[in-house]
Amino acid sequence: MAAAPPSLPLQHLDTLWFQVSGTLCNLRCSHCFISCAPDNHTLELMEAPRIFRYLDDARRMGVKEVYFTGGEPFIHRSFLAILECALRDFPVSVLTNGVLIDEAKADRLRRIADGSRFSLEIRISIDDYEEARNDAIRGKGTFRKALDAYKLLYDRGFLPILTVTEMRDYLTPQGGERDLHGRYVKLLRSVGVDRPRIKVIPIFEMGMLPAPAGQRSVTPEMLRELDPDALQCSSSRIVAHDGVYACPILVGEPEARLADDLEGGLRDCSLYHSSCHTCYVTGMTCKNF
Amino acid sequence: MAEKRPDAGRRYRRVALFGGVYNNYLALGELVRECRASQVDAIFCLGDMGGFGPHPDRSFPLLRSGEIRSIAGNYDLSLAQGNEDCGCGYTDPADNHFARISYDYTFRNTSRENKEWLGTLPSRLSFGLGPLKVRLCHGSPRQVNEFLWDSTSPDHLLSGFLDSAGADVLCCTHTGLKWHRELPGQKHFFNVGVIGRPENDGRTNVWYTVLEYDGRGFRYEFRPLRYDHRRLAREMRAEGLPEEFVETARTGWWTTCLEIMPSRERRSGKF
Ligand code: SF4
Ligand code: SF4
Repeated sequence: MAAAPPSLPLQHLDTLWFQVSGTLCNLRCSHCFISCAPDNHTLELMEAPRIFRYLDDARRMGVKEVYFTGGEPFIHRSFLAILECALRDFPVSVLTNGVLIDEAKADRLRRIADGSRFSLEIRISIDDYEEARNDAIRGKGTFRKALDAYKLLYDRGFLPILTVTEMRDYLTPQGGERDLHGRYVKLLRSVGVDRPRIKVIPIFEMGMLPAPAGQRSVTPEMLRELDPDALQCSSSRIVAHDGVYACPILVGEPEARLADDLEGGLRDCSLYHSSCHTCYVTGMTCKNF
Repeated sequence: MAEKRPDAGRRYRRVALFGGVYNNYLALGELVRECRASQVDAIFCLGDMGGFGPHPDRSFPLLRSGEIRSIAGNYDLSLAQGNEDCGCGYTDPADNHFARISYDYTFRNTSRENKEWLGTLPSRLSFGLGPLKVRLCHGSPRQVNEFLWDSTSPDHLLSGFLDSAGADVLCCTHTGLKWHRELPGQKHFFNVGVIGRPENDGRTNVWYTVLEYDGRGFRYEFRPLRYDHRRLAREMRAEGLPEEFVETARTGWWTTCLEIMPSRERRSGKF
């Protein structure tokens, strides 16, 4: 009989994520770990007043930083207002595919960032350094659009973070790329970015990808030897329209839902999912650093 | 000997504070000279004695002379415990590459006795400044290697730290950039800066902080400190330290440890 999965206490709620656009996205990437798409209403858009209430709670509880993700945050009509409000009290990071960032939006983002004493970090995702391979995963034209968005923001004084998954290794493990980081540095330099910032994240086999063969999970023994700080769920939570979840990876998974409100979301989370094993092995964090 | 908590209960009028010696014994010497001349009552070092610069053991005579009260940074704990790495908390491969080189160099060139001395340093310290209670820590009160940058530290977080410490003034270092924030209730938070490495602003001087309480109330000043940075650069090169570090000492621009910086702080640098 398999032992019950171990659970992890929250040390302190430092990082609060918002699934601001639910599972709604303007793209339909073939690997999306929460299967976001234009018509996936599993998690709905979050209403602005609700987010403001959570931000109030977060301030009271001493939260250090706020992240917005989705789906695609920029499809939310009130997103810029939400961003502006969050930046009054918190450093903020936004995860986007960049498609909806045009000149006007980049200008607005610059003004919003300048209005705050805190950092606004923008992360733009692509999945391959070759246009054709990226577009095969993320959709036609997304490579150019993401790079254009990066450049528009860069030219306005942002230092965006290009977020890339290890999709290439996943799809063709034999032909794995040794210097992935270097490839993306080269790509960004080729469009005139001399201070590239890049974050590489591992693949989570869930959502649109088939579950891994042979379930691997975190055992109590593994946890005993681990520094709890190595798992992001020891210091972060995510809120979606229907409540608080353990982490951005398991958002929307019924078993990872902890409570309606932030206070309740402080309880231990269960490391029940095979993705917890990926976290354990890779030490990955969804945060910028 | 009461070396562990030398300042509990002591009251001062003017104190100098700094962090991050990073083996820069030349700047340390200048700092002590300046402090003597400006008649501060006490000098406090917030930790991270090693890294970056040349000849680690040359900082210790001054550090151990009794003139400076020190607390331990992550670097000091790592050296004292014989750890594999500096525990700075970098997550980027490029940052870690350079951190590794300077840690290995510092580890090899710090005497056993000095490492043991680092192991005796307290992790925090409190003292009185006039009627104010001042608390010192390295990264943050809760984590020795927490990065507290100006652009990523919300007021409510800092106020929380001050409340739990029961302090009026909280001082830390670790990031390498100085800053100050006044918080509700006339509380103050400081990152006191470092004397080991310039501030990523194209100037070669380093910085320390002076806090003062007199008839006119509480005041603070960030003071630039000049030292023979050309000599430091020469010695770094002679010791075979990476050219990237030498360039930072020579030009005042950071060339490494950039990935951990928030965009706001990084934007004002060159790389
Ligand atoms: S991976 Fe990102 S951009 Fe692609 S469908 Fe999912 S949420 Fe949208
Ligand atoms: S997927 Fe990772 S971050 Fe999420 S609960 Fe499991 S271990 Fe924690």
